[in-house]
Amino acid sequence: MANFILRKAEPKDVSDILRLIKELAKFEEMEDQVLLTEKDLLDDGFGEHPFYHCVVAEVPNEQQSSEGHTVVGFAMYYFTYDPWIGKLLYLEDFYVMKEYRGYGMGSKILKHLSHTAVKTRCSSMHFIVAEWNKPSIEFYKRRGASDLSSEEGWRLFEIDKQYLVKMSSKE
Amino acid sequence: MNYTVRDSTPGDCKDIMRLIVDLAEYEKMPNEVKLSHKELEADGFSSNPFFKCLVAEVPEEFKSKEGHTIVGYGFYFFTYCTWKGRVVYLEDLYVMPEFRGKGIGKALMSRIAQIGRAQGCVRMQFTVLDWNKPSLDFYSSQGAVNLTATEGWQLLRFEGEALEKLAQNAN
Repeated sequence: MANFILRKAEPKDVSDILRLIKELAKFEEMEDQVLLTEKDLLDDGFGEHPFYHCVVAEVPNEQQSSEGHTVVGFAMYYFTYDPWIGKLLYLEDFYVMKEYRGYGMGSKILKHLSHTAVKTRCSSMHFIVAEWNKPSIEFYKRRGASDLSSEEGWRLFEIDKQYLVKMSSKE
Repeated sequence: MNYTVRDSTPGDCKDIMRLIVDLAEYEKMPNEVKLSHKELEADGFSSNPFFKCLVAEVPEEFKSKEGHTIVGYGFYFFTYCTWKGRVVYLEDLYVMPEFRGKGIGKALMSRIAQIGRAQGCVRMQFTVLDWNKPSLDFYSSQGAVNLTATEGWQLLRFEGEALEKLAQNAN
């Protein structure tokens, strides 16, 4: 099994991408937090100024999933900047459907992303993982990732829309 | 004391680099700064900028002990959350110690929040070191939530040799 190709996502893929985003959110036990629509994904990824880049893993028709899907994995990333070392590749989402795991798809995607990072002269690839997600943490550590939260004490913060609005109206 | 918050220009890169190094010293990691002001200029002011930066400037009569009028900066870029959409990421926020307590930090952050909202961003994200109590308190007072504490997110990275190795490995 598992002929698959990795290719750049196209506008027609947004419905599959959203489906996989929701599957990953379900795995992360936060599926009701996904508010994004296909239209948002289309505008934000395929407009004049893309906010993200996406690669998808696709199997031939004869290997489609039990629900008839051929797009079975994806990775979404964008470029960020570290004022100490320069450009970084930030891996936002990375997921392969359960029935397609164990065939090297995840490894291939990660390799493709690291190629992209090196080719575009990024010094590093960053991403976040939930601390309870031991299989993923092991997967990344086996491949040389360091945990900056443990090693250097970085904590991730967010300021949500209501406070952003409040802050942007003071000056 | 008067100050203005404005968009940076290529000519500000030497000052921005000076403040980046100051902040790295505060974060106890000054040897990690590898970037030069020339690279900063190329990466921030070309037709495809990888970051944006606001600076806080005081008039000549209020310049610092060492003669500087650029006394603070806010360094940011746009990222993407697959659940909610566009995010403004605050990479660096810093005000020189002798200019603190005058609202400059808040003013920089408010302007970035405003810019984020104008671009349709639904949240601002950033990382803070776990020992940095003054900053942790400041951000809490602005409505920030510590996602590492509340949701268990850990920040990971692949860099240098680990990134190269990942790009080369077959599986």
